[in-house]
Amino acid sequence: MRLLYEGLTSVTCVSRRRRGYKYPPVRSDTGFFTDVTLCIGCKACEVACKQWNQLPADGYTFSAESYDNTGRLSATTWRHVAFVEQADRIEPAASRWMMMSDVCKHCTYAGCMEACPTGAIVRNEFGDVYVQPDVCNGCGYCVPSCPFGVVAVEPKEGVAQKCTLCYDRQKDGMEPACAKACPTDAITFGPVDELRANAQRRVEKLLAEGREASLYGIDGEETRETGPLNAFFLLPDRPEVFNLPPHPVLPSRFQPAAYSSALVAATALAVLGVAVFRGLREGA
Amino acid sequence: MPSQPHGAAFGAVGDVSPDAVAASLGRNDGGFGRAQETYFDHPVLHKAHWGWEIVGYFFAGGMAAASAALATLADAAGDPRDGALVRNGRYTALAGAAVSGVLLIADLGRPERFIAMMRIFKLKSPMSVGVYAFSAFSATAGLAALEQARADGTIARNPLGWIPKGPRVAVHALSAALMATYTGVLVAATAIPVWYRGRRHLPAIFALSAASTGCALQNGLLALGAGSPATSRKLEVIETVAAAAEGLLLLDYERTAGVPGKALFGGARGRRLKRMTLGLGLAVPALLALPGLFGRHPKRGRRLRGLVTAACALSGGYVLRESVVHAGRDSADDPRAYLQHPV
Repeated sequence: MRLLYEGLTSVTCVSRRRRGYKYPPVRSDTGFFTDVTLCIGCKACEVACKQWNQLPADGYTFSAESYDNTGRLSATTWRHVAFVEQADRIEPAASRWMMMSDVCKHCTYAGCMEACPTGAIVRNEFGDVYVQPDVCNGCGYCVPSCPFGVVAVEPKEGVAQKCTLCYDRQKDGMEPACAKACPTDAITFGPVDELRANAQRRVEKLLAEGREASLYGIDGEETRETGPLNAFFLLPDRPEVFNLPPHPVLPSRFQPAAYSSALVAATALAVLGVAVFRGLREGA
Repeated sequence: MPSQPHGAAFGAVGDVSPDAVAASLGRNDGGFGRAQETYFDHPVLHKAHWGWEIVGYFFAGGMAAASAALATLADAAGDPRDGALVRNGRYTALAGAAVSGVLLIADLGRPERFIAMMRIFKLKSPMSVGVYAFSAFSATAGLAALEQARADGTIARNPLGWIPKGPRVAVHALSAALMATYTGVLVAATAIPVWYRGRRHLPAIFALSAASTGCALQNGLLALGAGSPATSRKLEVIETVAAAAEGLLLLDYERTAGVPGKALFGGARGRRLKRMTLGLGLAVPALLALPGLFGRHPKRGRRLRGLVTAACALSGGYVLRESVVHAGRDSADDPRAYLQHPV
């Protein structure tokens, strides 16, 4: 069943596959490296993103939890700064205040792209996952298929929207607005392999200083299903502290089990139906 | 420990009673300790926007598929007494397909948005598979209804009668099977914990529910019209077996879904699901059908029994679809289901 499924889907799948389809090796994918230990929580990335991409305001809700009144990524918020306040009352010096600028991860195996029935979600020439707004029909199936809760349907336009990694700016050789605006270079943009090398050096430096640091989205447990993330993070704590799933799922992995269930049920019902209609036939 | 640069500031919190501090550490209301489990319990996942249109589509589509399958079965394997079922089944399948199409477009907002799905075929996307299954089903349901209208003498000549019967019926049956099951695959193959926990159950449950509601609907229609009791008996046998299997699968789904399954099986939603689907939708029709399975139905009250069975089974089937869709929303809003219970 698994083999049959893999064979059939690899023929029609537009997404980059684990094996088989080779992405043209034109250049390295571009991506973001977001370093939580450098973020000062100024939210310039949120503002720059809104401004460049002409995204509307989300209203003025007051969360009363922290300086984070944005809450989470949405169809009109493509960068979101989370404020994590770890006040340790017993050991006050161990208290930490961490800011993390969240963004679309631009997965290697993207759940949204696999789910999209119109082909609106594509991987562009920079290796980033991009929603073509003129093709999207707003079916919304990418929304529950994103393992990171990034993409969402914008109710007014009725199309799915998320971070484009500033596709338009990249085409003109510019870096994305959030990375440009970041005053501490907590967000850096560039070819993913360069960013990864920088990130490794940064982690080694922090660990040498005796600080906690780990990378999210390069080769850890979190990349088991989605593959390496083009937008990855340096985290001083466990991922769930920043609302990042430790085990993001790639929804298409559930399809073999689900289709098997469908096949068994449909076959059983067909056999039952034929048996009943034949068995109770006139004169039988 | 180095000197405490922030010590004074946090030390001021010491005025608060130890109980209050412990309580605030337990609550995620700011000032997390190191034991922090989530980010203010904010959702990690986004939920599908699906509303009653999609619930109705899941329900009507399943019932239309089952009606088509029953009509096809009765035509191929039945006897002349099943003629009324063939007729009703073909017409209700077409009506169900039409209702499903309207509901889908109501969800998308504009008719041309449906066409956008036809620009590619993508086996990897259950939504794409479903769109083609639905299109093939609607087209062949139309052909079957035309054929029926010609046989009934409603139209003198079938303008599409030249399409060979073999391939037409084969496509109709296969697309009906997909129509009844793909919606289960659609919800199961997502990142929503309560849904993917049911990946082995939901497609089968949806198919069995389509069968039981389809049988009940056809039985109700036969009871209203001049259907043969022999046909009703066949439908009751299928309905009872399907309902029993559906009930067992639902219970097994609850058993294996674990904590994320609480979104569907816990609280008021779980109680309503058990009352309306397991009780009213599955158990009541099965009990009503039981004497008949042994050939002991009283002659009187057949019409009433058919209608009551149909009403009960249809309500149960609708509540099942509604509960599953709504449970997906709550599951997406619950970060702990996703963060703490890996697959």
